[in-house]
Amino acid sequence: MSTRISIEELLRWRAARAEAEAPPAPRAARLLEMARPWWEIWPERFQSFVERLGRIQVAYGHAMAEPRQSHTGHPVPALIVRAVEELETSVRVLYLNVRDGRLRLRFQLDAATVQAQESFEVTFVSDKPERPLLSATAIFSLDGEYRIDTELSEELAHGWEPLKVTDRMPFRLILCSDKDGG
Amino acid sequence: MRFVWFWTFWHWSKESFRGGSLLRNPLHGVGSHWDEWFRHEALESDLRAIAEAGRTESAQRQFIAWLYLHWAHEANWSGNRLIPRFVLGQLAPLSPFKEWQAFDEYRVSYGIGGIPAIVLTAESSGEAEDIRPVEALTLPADTGPKTVSEGFRANAAELETPHRAAMNVLSGKGLLIFLALWLVGGQRPYPRWLKTLLGLGWLSASGLILYLLVGPEPGERLFSFAATLTGLWSALGIVAVTVAVKQCFYAWRQGQRWSSRLEQSQVRLRMNGGLTIKGGSAGLPFCLNMLISLFRADPRATDRSWIWQRLGRRLRAETNGWAATGVVTGDGFLKPVVLEPKLRACLQHAGIKHILTPSQRDASRWAVARLIHAMTPAILKSEPDMPTTAHAQLGFAAEERRLVSHRCRHVAQALMALGGFTSGWQKAMSALAVAVSCLMLLALQDLLCILLPPRAPDVVAPASPSPYYLWVSLDTKHPEYFEVVLESKYWSNRRAKVMRYSGADASVRAEIFLHRLTGQIARDGEDGTVWIERRRRFLTREYASDERVGRYSIAYLNRLVHD
Repeated sequence: MSTRISIEELLRWRAARAEAEAPPAPRAARLLEMARPWWEIWPERFQSFVERLGRIQVAYGHAMAEPRQSHTGHPVPALIVRAVEELETSVRVLYLNVRDGRLRLRFQLDAATVQAQESFEVTFVSDKPERPLLSATAIFSLDGEYRIDTELSEELAHGWEPLKVTDRMPFRLILCSDKDGG
Repeated sequence: MRFVWFWTFWHWSKESFRGGSLLRNPLHGVGSHWDEWFRHEALESDLRAIAEAGRTESAQRQFIAWLYLHWAHEANWSGNRLIPRFVLGQLAPLSPFKEWQAFDEYRVSYGIGGIPAIVLTAESSGEAEDIRPVEALTLPADTGPKTVSEGFRANAAELETPHRAAMNVLSGKGLLIFLALWLVGGQRPYPRWLKTLLGLGWLSASGLILYLLVGPEPGERLFSFAATLTGLWSALGIVAVTVAVKQCFYAWRQGQRWSSRLEQSQVRLRMNGGLTIKGGSAGLPFCLNMLISLFRADPRATDRSWIWQRLGRRLRAETNGWAATGVVTGDGFLKPVVLEPKLRACLQHAGIKHILTPSQRDASRWAVARLIHAMTPAILKSEPDMPTTAHAQLGFAAEERRLVSHRCRHVAQALMALGGFTSGWQKAMSALAVAVSCLMLLALQDLLCILLPPRAPDVVAPASPSPYYLWVSLDTKHPEYFEVVLESKYWSNRRAKVMRYSGADASVRAEIFLHRLTGQIARDGEDGTVWIERRRRFLTREYASDERVGRYSIAYLNRLVHD
């Protein structure tokens, strides 16, 4: 028996085998389900997170003797959701830029309380009324910092464009660990 | 203009900060800002220029040199030499610098060097890896905390206390302790010939004092001896006091400057390894490294203060062989720590030759020697069994471990040890100088009376109300430097010291008890002469005196009005 086989034939054989072993394509309904944001899939869970987030009270108390420095910023309440725990904390927004309908944001997690991880699925929740605004992936950058680069709806882009990093942020954050999320 | 892209980034960072897009100022957030700029803001032309700058290692090094020499100067950072290092350290892990070979050294360290801390990992009984390099870097203050940890986690209080201790050593009680230690036994800024000359001077002064106290009667030479001693002591004293005061003043002034600089700075402490520090035994190295960072930020600041200059130079050059451990309090005192595993870690580490510890018993030389003995392999401890016929000799190439422990009660003592200030010679000279000066101060009046004798006194009232006594009252303020001698053929000759008497007949006088001679030649009770003599003395010794400065008859003295 000849053992000679051309590369082309080999590739075809491999592709046919991969097709045969691949799982079936999801149905349209499943695809639609997967495209829905998580807060629509698990509204009760979202509601409990929002309630917990609403209870976090963070603000700097300026009790120092020196005049208040203008560039301290305002801490943003954040809830870190992992499979085994939920952690109330706050983040410091380091960079905020809304341009051409895109949001570029950098924030820093309190390194003392949170172990750094590669990425978070971040849900922006408006202050009042408490409703989800958008969801985006935050990628670890350096030294406890995460960056977000995402598109904004026209309404949000218009509202957030004049925001400065030192302003009080009109949102709170739910940070879902990627591997534990959903 | 070279490296325009870096200026473009820098100005973008400044403008974004000013415009409210960035929270941190361009310096403190340089890493994060670069990451953002490089990803989203840099133009194609900038990216091409950056790629060109990183094409070869030589070009990369040119960029580093440019940052040190030009950017730091033009961005007004020339007052702090550590800022380019900080910027390079922040950029090193980011694209595209993380691929640049010339940045390798900045990825793990700022390249400042410092005194390592001995931080044991859990379960460690003292390994070489527990000696952890620590670097400190001072930057202009930001809105964040005054002390920031990099590469490790620590309680804010554990970083704040060394910061306060460093401030204390620069401008508080700690500085006084440091200067006092330096005054007692610290090296002085003298050239060798002057040091020898001054040593000989103090020895000569002490020799002269001894000669004047127990030597043969100096006679006419007393004046020249006294003049030489006074002149020598004055010259030595002036040199010692001038140098001490000048150096203390410069050290104090520079300490004040550094203290306010530290107050207005953010200190970044870097210790790689990702440890979470439990306990405060790294307080001493943290505190010392904060001080080192100030010396390194502006080495020229120490130009006028020899003390800080020497300390800064030694710390820049010789921190490699040192390690430190100790809990430091806010006012700079050191508290004991668990030491044995730390000493073991130092002994395992080939580079550590000195350790700064709190003053505790298990840091004594004996304890260290015992530990070295316990750690030495048995074959090195005992004489090898050599066959008598063997001609070959065994060679043990293993170096004998040496570790000098410097026990300190205060951070100031650690600075003394690090600066190599402690000098046995200077301690001996200081002790000699203090002893000589104390004796000289006690004998100053005696010497002045030898060199500048008080004027000869006149005899004044009152005379003695009793016929059995002869009072010779003198108008002098220095009774102890005169005495009275009675020479008579009717009364027995006597010598009396002049003293200050109080009471009803208060005066400065000599009282001579009159005692008739049994076989007197004269018949007149008023026969006799009273001489006033100068006394010359030095501390406990009185010299023979032949200087008579007054002569009075008994008749004259008897007729003085009794007041």
